[in-house]
Amino acid sequence: MPGRERIAVTGLGLVSSLGFGADVSFARLCAGERGIAPVTLFDTTGLKSQIAAEVSGLDVAAIAPRGAVQDWSRSDALAFLAAREALQHARHVEGTALGLALGGTTGGMYETERALMQFAPGGIAPQDARRLLDFPLAVSVERVARALGSVVQSATVCSACSSGAVAIALGASWLLSGRAERVVAGGVDGLCQLTFTGFNALGAVDPAPCRPFDAARAGLTLGEGAACLVLERESSARARGVPIIAFLSGWAVASEAHHITHPEPSGARAAAVMLDALRAAALAPSDIDYVNAHGTGTLQNDAMEAKALARVFEPDLGRVWVSSSKAQLGHTLGAAGAIEAAITALSLNRGVVPPTAGLEQPEVPGIRHVRAANQPAALRAALSSSFGFGGACAVLAFEAPNAEARVLTPGMAAPIVISGAASYGLRGLLSGADNSVYVNEPRPPSEPPPEPLSLLHPERSRRFGRTSALVVASAERALRDAELEPQGVGFVVGSAFGDVERSVRFLQKLLAQGPKFASPAEFPQLVASTGSGNASIYLGLTGPCLSVSEFATSGESALSVAISLLELGLAPAVVAGAGEAHDAIVDAVLGGPGRPPRSEGAGFVVLETLPSAQRRGRVPLARLLEHGAWRGDATRAFSSLVAPPASAIVVTGRLPSAAAGALGRSAWRGVRTHALPSLLGFHEALGAVALSVAASEVASGRATQALVVTADVDTLYLTRLEGYEVRP
Amino acid sequence: MDQSALKSKIKLAILEELDLRGRTEADIDDAAPLFGAGLGLDSLDALQLAMAIEERFGVKVPEGEGSRAVFASVNAIAAHITQATSE
Repeated sequence: MPGRERIAVTGLGLVSSLGFGADVSFARLCAGERGIAPVTLFDTTGLKSQIAAEVSGLDVAAIAPRGAVQDWSRSDALAFLAAREALQHARHVEGTALGLALGGTTGGMYETERALMQFAPGGIAPQDARRLLDFPLAVSVERVARALGSVVQSATVCSACSSGAVAIALGASWLLSGRAERVVAGGVDGLCQLTFTGFNALGAVDPAPCRPFDAARAGLTLGEGAACLVLERESSARARGVPIIAFLSGWAVASEAHHITHPEPSGARAAAVMLDALRAAALAPSDIDYVNAHGTGTLQNDAMEAKALARVFEPDLGRVWVSSSKAQLGHTLGAAGAIEAAITALSLNRGVVPPTAGLEQPEVPGIRHVRAANQPAALRAALSSSFGFGGACAVLAFEAPNAEARVLTPGMAAPIVISGAASYGLRGLLSGADNSVYVNEPRPPSEPPPEPLSLLHPERSRRFGRTSALVVASAERALRDAELEPQGVGFVVGSAFGDVERSVRFLQKLLAQGPKFASPAEFPQLVASTGSGNASIYLGLTGPCLSVSEFATSGESALSVAISLLELGLAPAVVAGAGEAHDAIVDAVLGGPGRPPRSEGAGFVVLETLPSAQRRGRVPLARLLEHGAWRGDATRAFSSLVAPPASAIVVTGRLPSAAAGALGRSAWRGVRTHALPSLLGFHEALGAVALSVAASEVASGRATQALVVTADVDTLYLTRLEGYEVRP
Repeated sequence: MDQSALKSKIKLAILEELDLRGRTEADIDDAAPLFGAGLGLDSLDALQLAMAIEERFGVKVPEGEGSRAVFASVNAIAAHITQATSE
């Protein structure tokens, strides 16, 4: 690749407490208005903070398709509004193939809470439990994709408060790798009692509207909203003649590996991520005129961020405009990175920067805070920073639409190999070649596997739920199998539902006893990014660490996203996989008579660029020959498959009959097939186990190539591997 | 309440609420500091313990700096609970 093309932002959609639509939200934001008021969505009695930035007047019934009103959450509606506005803005014509990437942390948690309030106290009746699984994190992408039509590539990512920014970086990767021609990417989060009570329990909220960077600040104010950006390559925007709002020039995603709730206090890690984003954009700190800061208003974030800003911009710090939008829009968690990206793009486009409302006495001198309303500023380039729970950092670099073209460093186009594999299941924790025992010795073992938590250091795994334990133990084994040090390594974990039983217990106690005894230490273990946060900290992984969710293909989605991170050059290696633990509620709803028996397990592989593996003298297990995700017609996915060599195998995870039929008509028909659900029972991480087992089998030389095929109702994944040392 | 029974209950609360797997009451010294070196606990643990003491013993722990003195040791927590319940 001779340098990559620039990515143009050609559409924006934004729903916030300041209004429906990007124009109205931005105008009111720049005018210094604050969309913070007493909470109306739920009872806040007994809580330290009783205010939030709610989107008032959100009429889900008017937005959801007819007949689907019961199924749509407020988050779904917010996401759809933002996506639709952005696409209209970009003059998108229905029918053009789209990628859709959304970040978020709680999905339809508000609706889940409403359902729980309707149930009789005590145990949950089986007919009620179903409702608790109606709003998993991935559902917004599913609803928006169906409503928009023509979505060919999609993902739901969660990296806590940087989720929205990470989704935008992921969308950019699809454009650069050619997986999509046009992408709508952003973030969404609706308010809910889980996060509202959780941040209260952590003592992280200000009873008054938050005051980012102020000496008297006392915490954050929660909010809700959604924003989406339409992204396309510059040549595509020019060819269509659509105005370019701004350029997304660079990005960086990395982890502090420090603490589940506290940021690394020196700001060194955050500064390194900002500098990485600048490097990716081929910009210097002297090119940046504005930073839309994370600026939550908490004591710890703002102190850390002020130090990070100084590290990046000194001695030039006083030249760079800085503001936080959270004193006006609240902290919208998984949406914040996308909302602030949209604001940053609009600031560059219009030459005006929004103020930090509520800032009276800046704590740290030397920062050029925007204090006045409608502050004009001629901006060349700007950063939008997001620093989330578990140390999940993401920084996006944007440039004004008149920025001059220049050569940008391409991402890595290097071949990708699998340099380690591990799984947890019926036979406990296995790695390397042992891992393929499931296809060679299908008889179940006589001994039960060790308890997942017993595989971890007790002090460093405090409060881990069963899913986190499965995930971290398996990922640790995969990392060791790859003989890889964790610095700079990324991590992507798929999870369909998270720890439903534990979340429900937290909410039931809250509903029964009020917020007084809501556990502060429990809350960080209940958010959708818990798995990646715990893994990053436990294993010391400092690359991009995130969670993804896609129902029964969550593990496959994790693999896709990990490949995108490698293609973006965000890490030389990424540990990718999924884990799903037994959960009384999930098992009761999805298991039972007439359904495949449910089990639990985890599968992880270490994906690495070939040059990285070669540099450290590691002989990989397998070479990744192709990997693709398809939405819709399963037949299309198989049409370009080349015929298998002798001694190839097929490993399948979940495979609905349409996909199985398409496989049976493909060039790989008749190839020896190992169906994991019949060997291992079913769980949502099975696709990741399938890949891990397939990698081990081709590494052993027993099979030359393996085709891993897994599918859900609307999605199908194909991954083809061959043993590294047995190239034909 | 008998002081040794009270201290035993406090230690149980610490072990359970802070998820100190593999440790027992005998591992917690009555007079040793709980935070920093000691058991390696942090401010998130302090928040959790403050909530748990109120839930289990009906006694509030002051917020912020005030909690430091109370959480100095098991002895200090016991003294705080004894004093608050005798008032």
